[in-house]
Amino acid sequence: MHIQAEENAIVPVRLFRINTGSCNGCDVELAVTSAVTEFDVEQLGCRYTEAAREADILLITGPLTVRAREEVLRLYAETPQDKVTVAVGVCPVSGGVFRDSYAVDGPLERHLPVDVNIPGCPPRPQALLAGIAEALELRRARREGGAPVRRALPVDNFPARGRLSYDAGSCVDCRICRHVCAAGAIRFEEGETGVSLTLWHNSCVFCGLCSHYCPTGALSVTGDWRLDHPAADAFRQVERGEVPYAPCVGCGEPIIPAAPQLLHAAFRRPNPDIERLKSLCPACRQQMSIGVPRR
Amino acid sequence: MSTKLIELGPHQLALEEPMYFRVKLEGDRVADLDVLPGQVHRGMEHLVMRRNFYQNITLLERLCSLCSNSHPSTFCAAVEEVAGITIPERAEYLRAVADEIKRIASHLFCCAVQANVIGETALFRRVMEVREIMQRAKEAIYGNRMDLAANVIGGVRYDLSVEGAAYLARQMEAMKQPLDELYLQYSNNPALLVRMAGVGVLPRAAAREYAVVGPVARGCGIDYDVRKKSPYGAYDRLEFEVAVQEGGDVRARNLVRLAEARQSVSLIEQCLAQLPAGPLCADTLPEIPAGEAIAKSEAPRGELMYYLRTDGSDMPVRLKWRVPSYMNWDALKVMLKGEPVANIPLIVNSIDPCIACTDR
Ligand code: SF4
Ligand code: SF4
Repeated sequence: MHIQAEENAIVPVRLFRINTGSCNGCDVELAVTSAVTEFDVEQLGCRYTEAAREADILLITGPLTVRAREEVLRLYAETPQDKVTVAVGVCPVSGGVFRDSYAVDGPLERHLPVDVNIPGCPPRPQALLAGIAEALELRRARREGGAPVRRALPVDNFPARGRLSYDAGSCVDCRICRHVCAAGAIRFEEGETGVSLTLWHNSCVFCGLCSHYCPTGALSVTGDWRLDHPAADAFRQVERGEVPYAPCVGCGEPIIPAAPQLLHAAFRRPNPDIERLKSLCPACRQQMSIGVPRR
Repeated sequence: MSTKLIELGPHQLALEEPMYFRVKLEGDRVADLDVLPGQVHRGMEHLVMRRNFYQNITLLERLCSLCSNSHPSTFCAAVEEVAGITIPERAEYLRAVADEIKRIASHLFCCAVQANVIGETALFRRVMEVREIMQRAKEAIYGNRMDLAANVIGGVRYDLSVEGAAYLARQMEAMKQPLDELYLQYSNNPALLVRMAGVGVLPRAAAREYAVVGPVARGCGIDYDVRKKSPYGAYDRLEFEVAVQEGGDVRARNLVRLAEARQSVSLIEQCLAQLPAGPLCADTLPEIPAGEAIAKSEAPRGELMYYLRTDGSDMPVRLKWRVPSYMNWDALKVMLKGEPVANIPLIVNSIDPCIACTDR
């Protein structure tokens, strides 16, 4: 992939990286953008620097550990006023899998302003370039005035694990996804009309375990990896859906009906009697099976 | 002679990770050093006790991204030991494939960074380009270039179709010639010899005393590789020789890595040739009973140990690690003693220190 820089800047834009305690995944992928021609930040008119005071764009990785905080803030204070700050990977935004630890002091935004987020765990180099391009655009817009423009990117059909997608129509509300999610990215809420699932792309680490254990395929991993966004939009980066309640055909209690996918998984060839089970509440199902409700 | 103390951090040492050293100099030579750890301490021991077994697979894969497959696969082996689960044979082979792919990429990254440190930029780029073949293969097969998400308790959750296996075999073929060429370069190229041969020497006696592991130990002539000494998974059915070098210097460590990367290619080819048909994972997940287990494996940086204790609930009550970098970076004291300041970044990188693993 090559993203063409719009103007051939003579003075390169300098990138400075701070690792706030990452697993090193994001950092190793950033190293790729300084070493591998196809992904070299040079194509965007950028170059890495080892001096904080030269940072035009600041790239921050990791969940911000308590131990690293002082050093991170010291380096941050050395960077120029007008730099653009980019959170690389989900760690700085939500803590990723490390959230809720005594040793982690994120999110980064509590300590310093962030301009652009690049979700991923780690983001692939194409996504890093897209996020850096977004930061460049923001930098240009700030200097020249006007609104930043989001660039279209060449699409590749590589089977990367990207954004999770949720199909409420086949969800049976078993909540195994939430149980297996290491990042706490999935939340269920029982509302007036149904149960809703919310999945936060800035928390998700794209491991795909939820979709692996989902019995009906309601959650699936898509190849959509372009998730960079202005940090102000962080809370809009969600996947959401509602499974509506339906009245139990036996007693009328509102229930979550079983999806046809579940019946097929459980019974292979469901007969009409089994089909009827899906619209019964547990008490009425017991009644149907053993004649009396179990106590 | 004047004595002074200096502090060096990731930006002076060309490290991807925030590791800090306090170095005592006599003149321009290193007299002693202290590692100032903790920047990457994320409280892993606390976190694993608050996540269930499923969640821990994803969490542990992010303990360190360079050996990211070694952690969940060793963790799963410990859980399987406690629960008495035998994983399907196909899964054993697929775990070995994932581990060896990661080993190649990890070793090449280490060799690349060292070339960069000594100003051999063209070689740095060349090694990184060769590594890209593996990065692409990882993304094509597993969907991510660092974190493979290959393991589940009881087996694996990825498969190699006939086309997938053929694709991987082609990528392995493409690695052979570049790896052979890199081995020769790191072995004989005069520009590298000048910087790497006889530099950062760890005598064998000191290597034993510090109990170093992995390429650091094998570079000192110590024939120790967990895959051979106590084979796990499919390794008792795979042929390879433990790569050993005698020099104990930076050059020797890199030659071990490059020889191992080449062997990993052969190991993956053997896995593809022997890959038995069958399930990927034990069907139902049994309850994990109360118990304890130790599992170990040969991670790219050396022997990795997991100690797990369970109490019958779905969360570990204890999980402890011994990671290879812990012993290896202690031995830096010996390797750096008497070396000029200018050699510090190279020698530090030559042990391939993993701070994420060690600070946890
Ligand atoms: S976002 Fe993922 S890859 Fe990046 S540092 Fe965090 S855990 Fe590692
Ligand atoms: S892929 Fe699913 S299980 Fe994994 S972090 Fe994202 S939401 Fe959680």
